[in-house]
Amino acid sequence: MELQAVLMAAGGGSRMTDLTYNTPKAMLPVGNKPLMWYPLNLLEKVGFEEVIVITTKEVQKMMSTDLKIKDVKMKLDVVSIQEDGDMGTADALRHIQPKIKTDILVLSCDLITDVALHEVVDLFRAHNATMAMLMSKAHEFTETVPGQKGKKKTAEQRDFVGVDQSGKRLLFMANEADLEDGLSIRKSIMRKHPRMLIKTGLVDAHLYCLKKAVVDFLTENKSISSIRGELVPYLVRKQFSKTVNSQKLKDDTDDQTQEKNDGPANHELLISSRDEPLLQLAQERSCWNDHRGDMSEAYHGGKLRCYVHIMDQGLCCRVNTLAAYIEVNRLAPKLFEEPSVHPSADISERCQMGSDSIIGALCHIADKTSIKRSTIGNSTTVKEKVKVTNSIIMHGVTIEEGCNIQGSVICSNAVIGRGADLKYCLVGNGQHIEPEAERTNEIIVGTDQLMEI
Amino acid sequence: MASKGGKQSRSASGLSGRKGAGDQEEEDQPLQAVLVADSFNRRFFPVTKDQPRALLPLGNVAMIDYTLEFLTSTGVQETFVFCCWMASKIKAHLQKSKWCRPSSPNTVHIITSDLYRSLGDVLRDVDAKSLVRSDFVLVYGDVVSNIDISQALQEHRHRRKMDKNISVMTMIFKESSPGHRSRCEEDDVIVAVDSKSQQILHYQKTQGLKKLQFPMNIFHSGSDEFEIRHDLLDSHISICSPQVAELFTDNFDYQTRDDFVRGLLVNEEILGNQIHVHVTKDGYGVRVSNLLMYDSVSSDLVRRWVYPLTPEANFTDQEGHSCTYSRHNVYRASGVSLGHGSQMEENVLIGCDTSIGANCYISNSVIGDNCIIGDNVVLDHAYIWNHVHIASNVEIIQSVICDKAEVKQGVTLKKQCVLAYDVVIGPNISLPEGTVVSMHHPEEEEEDDDEFLSDDAEVGQRSDKTKQKVFNPAEVGAEGKGYIWKASSLDDTEEEELSQCLWGLVLNPDPESDSEDSETDGPDDPVIPSPEMDDVKVFHMEVLGTLQRGLEENISCDNLVLEINSLKYAYNISLKEVMQILTRVVLEYPFQQQHLTPSQYVALLLPLLKKWAPVFKNYVKRAQDHLDCLSAFEEHFLEQESHWAAMVKVLMNMYELEILEEEMILRWFSQGATGDKSRQLRKNQGLQKFIQWLEEAEESSEEDGE
Repeated sequence: MELQAVLMAAGGGSRMTDLTYNTPKAMLPVGNKPLMWYPLNLLEKVGFEEVIVITTKEVQKMMSTDLKIKDVKMKLDVVSIQEDGDMGTADALRHIQPKIKTDILVLSCDLITDVALHEVVDLFRAHNATMAMLMSKAHEFTETVPGQKGKKKTAEQRDFVGVDQSGKRLLFMANEADLEDGLSIRKSIMRKHPRMLIKTGLVDAHLYCLKKAVVDFLTENKSISSIRGELVPYLVRKQFSKTVNSQKLKDDTDDQTQEKNDGPANHELLISSRDEPLLQLAQERSCWNDHRGDMSEAYHGGKLRCYVHIMDQGLCCRVNTLAAYIEVNRLAPKLFEEPSVHPSADISERCQMGSDSIIGALCHIADKTSIKRSTIGNSTTVKEKVKVTNSIIMHGVTIEEGCNIQGSVICSNAVIGRGADLKYCLVGNGQHIEPEAERTNEIIVGTDQLMEI
Repeated sequence: MASKGGKQSRSASGLSGRKGAGDQEEEDQPLQAVLVADSFNRRFFPVTKDQPRALLPLGNVAMIDYTLEFLTSTGVQETFVFCCWMASKIKAHLQKSKWCRPSSPNTVHIITSDLYRSLGDVLRDVDAKSLVRSDFVLVYGDVVSNIDISQALQEHRHRRKMDKNISVMTMIFKESSPGHRSRCEEDDVIVAVDSKSQQILHYQKTQGLKKLQFPMNIFHSGSDEFEIRHDLLDSHISICSPQVAELFTDNFDYQTRDDFVRGLLVNEEILGNQIHVHVTKDGYGVRVSNLLMYDSVSSDLVRRWVYPLTPEANFTDQEGHSCTYSRHNVYRASGVSLGHGSQMEENVLIGCDTSIGANCYISNSVIGDNCIIGDNVVLDHAYIWNHVHIASNVEIIQSVICDKAEVKQGVTLKKQCVLAYDVVIGPNISLPEGTVVSMHHPEEEEEDDDEFLSDDAEVGQRSDKTKQKVFNPAEVGAEGKGYIWKASSLDDTEEEELSQCLWGLVLNPDPESDSEDSETDGPDDPVIPSPEMDDVKVFHMEVLGTLQRGLEENISCDNLVLEINSLKYAYNISLKEVMQILTRVVLEYPFQQQHLTPSQYVALLLPLLKKWAPVFKNYVKRAQDHLDCLSAFEEHFLEQESHWAAMVKVLMNMYELEILEEEMILRWFSQGATGDKSRQLRKNQGLQKFIQWLEEAEESSEEDGE
């Protein structure tokens, strides 16, 4: 086993509370599959046989009943953590450290991508990297989002990512918020990598290959609680710090003594990927080099190396906002060639249905309905003369006669009254929409849900 | 020959390219160039006292000829040569050259003035005389290049057409990684560009910097990809729009191109002028800005990196300058005689009618015309100009020997020596590294050039000079002629010394060494949230800081009190704590120095106490205040057991300064003891004596009162 996969599925979806009020983020339906099925599928496709899933008790319970998850052939080692504990992703890794035997591949449950995963792993392998991660060009959301007026604000703080000439080696990483005094780069870095590309407008896919040593480092360093927020920037910075690099000689000489006194004093050292002696020899003897322009050894003797694979094509989306959720519902089904209508669904023949719609199991679709570019969940009833366009309808929803639903998201177990007209709305879990209602661009949720915000 | 071929094909492609752009009007205009044949600095002093820099030979051809050849081959049809220093020499040289023949495709106008003091002056003159009609090439007279700028020109014109004259300048850079030999350390720049538009967002010289700062506003341009490049070598060739000259006129404080670039970048938002880069991967473009660059450009030239400008091409079309090219890059002009057993190892260029004696070993060197070199001479990286005599048994390493200099027998020139015109060295002397010898006396220079020198001073100096006019045989040898120039005599300020040094900065052979040694690891560590410092501690630090500052800046006690009062409110500290902290701070103050003996401690503390007595008096008023103050005093000495000997003196002093009253001291002494240790403290002999004395004094004063 080369890599152990770890799926982080405990996130609450704090940026889309309207959707995740009753359904945890990991179980939100996307194309009638729970969100976490997508990363699991990604892993299964490339041949993983076992995945450690870190999640909450609630999700664990739901997983055991979900048909789609049951379809997953990999062995799922579910570890549940406390729901409301302030546990960051790095804390979670620390929690499962005893299970980690090799290098790991960590990914988040909200990642939907068609990336060729080997690209990331190959970077990790080829350069014997400490960390390899995946990024992608930011996706422009085109769909109208319920409850959001006007264009999305672009005032969001950008991430600045610096890569070298090849676009693979990660040299710099910072958020605009931390760069008030301007971006500052050490000259020694520029000397080693004289051409640095600073990219903004990238999204981090939250998919990381990490050396086992990093997990061990985490157990030593309890102050790091989040992978993205603390660990990754730390590793990126650490690439160029003197101590890691100069530790090399010491490393070789007292390798054995060191094993014993791996105390907190030198826990920093643990994260530098120690090349095996044979590999080191190969590097010394070969004329291969990772850079050109100066005469120093490959990687300038650095032992800690971070790489990034930046996708410029294909889908890579993190479902962490409502806009992303809507977008991904439109795009994700295209990745999988499956019959769009579940065989157990009962669909009247006199119903207009576009081929770009998905109908879940045990649905009842009545006469004279029209369904276009929409997803309809399991056990949903759609009565006569209903028009559904560009919408996402989750499980167990009842839509009465003569409704017109456009560009909306309707959460599970909602009931839409007869003749209602919904445009660009979000209807919360179990809500009842009164008959003949006309709603546009609204978020309709229960009062208790409102209180929470 | 090769150069001509190249020229034709280039101008042809350039022409068709411009036609493609369809810029009919612009195209009709012949391409113009402004060549600045003056460096406006004294880097090559004392060599340039006799010959302007543009005429110094590089590979036996004057530098300005390379620049003109570059301009001509790139399609320039009209060149304005601006001369200042020794303008007549440059003029004479150009008038003799092929550029002033009627057949020259490039019309050369020579404009001379003694008033030019900088590039800015030249460009202001360009504007005043309205010499340029459209885009022009701006270049210095010491640039050696074979870059084909037609593509850059096309891009520049395209940008100007698209953006309505927003882009005013395109700087041409050559790609070259840090540490490359042809990189000039002083020209080391860091450039931030927009990846798509190639617009310069930030431009900075990096010499001596450890951290590179980029202001955030450069990233707000709406683009999502930027490049920070440190692998660029400034070729000092730029394509300018006519506005450049106007901008120089508008901003009379712009002196150099760097001023201009900085000014435009700072004012980009206001004026909307942009500067772009063109980066070329192949091609050669370097400015000979110091002797180190002279060395590397010369060897590049001999190694044919500047093809088609090679020594045997004889592009200047001078008679008798043709030479043959044989393997290992050895070039010999006509009439060269080589003695028996002499070796020309590699990369050697020898000018015509030069004779070399027996058993010489020559490598990586350029030797001019009509030189005579004796037997057993070793030359490595030696640049010997014309009419030089070198006797036998001489060794020269990485040095420059100017015209008509003479090196006598048995002389050794170590690295980076310069023998200026007509100097005689030797015999049997070894010049240390970096020696510069000239026939001009170093002090002469100030006389010639300093206009502000008063007459008196000049007279004084003249007498001085006549005294020193004797050559020092210890420096230049028994038969030597010339004065040693020291780098420091060129200028007064230390900062400039670096940049003024003739050879320039040595390239750092080990790129790691310069920056990383001193870097601490501190900021890299994960930030462990430090426990919130409690207010009292912060207050303690602040008081200490205030007093320190007070001492340094001699702030009056009233103001100190004011500051401490405001700190008291800021940190919500009670009066009692203020008193105690103040006492502690003052008593601990001398401990900022390590290892004090008690007597040293007292010596340091007493003046402080005296100085700050008013501060104490301001706070120590009521009886309780005195006791608080004393308990802080006690606490302090309990911690500093070794300094008990000093205790009495301090207390005595505080008493004498009327900070503490005797009654309170007595009360403290009799009642205050709280622990074993404080009881022990009170048993201190000196203290007991002091108390005794106090008691007696009190009694006597009481008696007096009665």
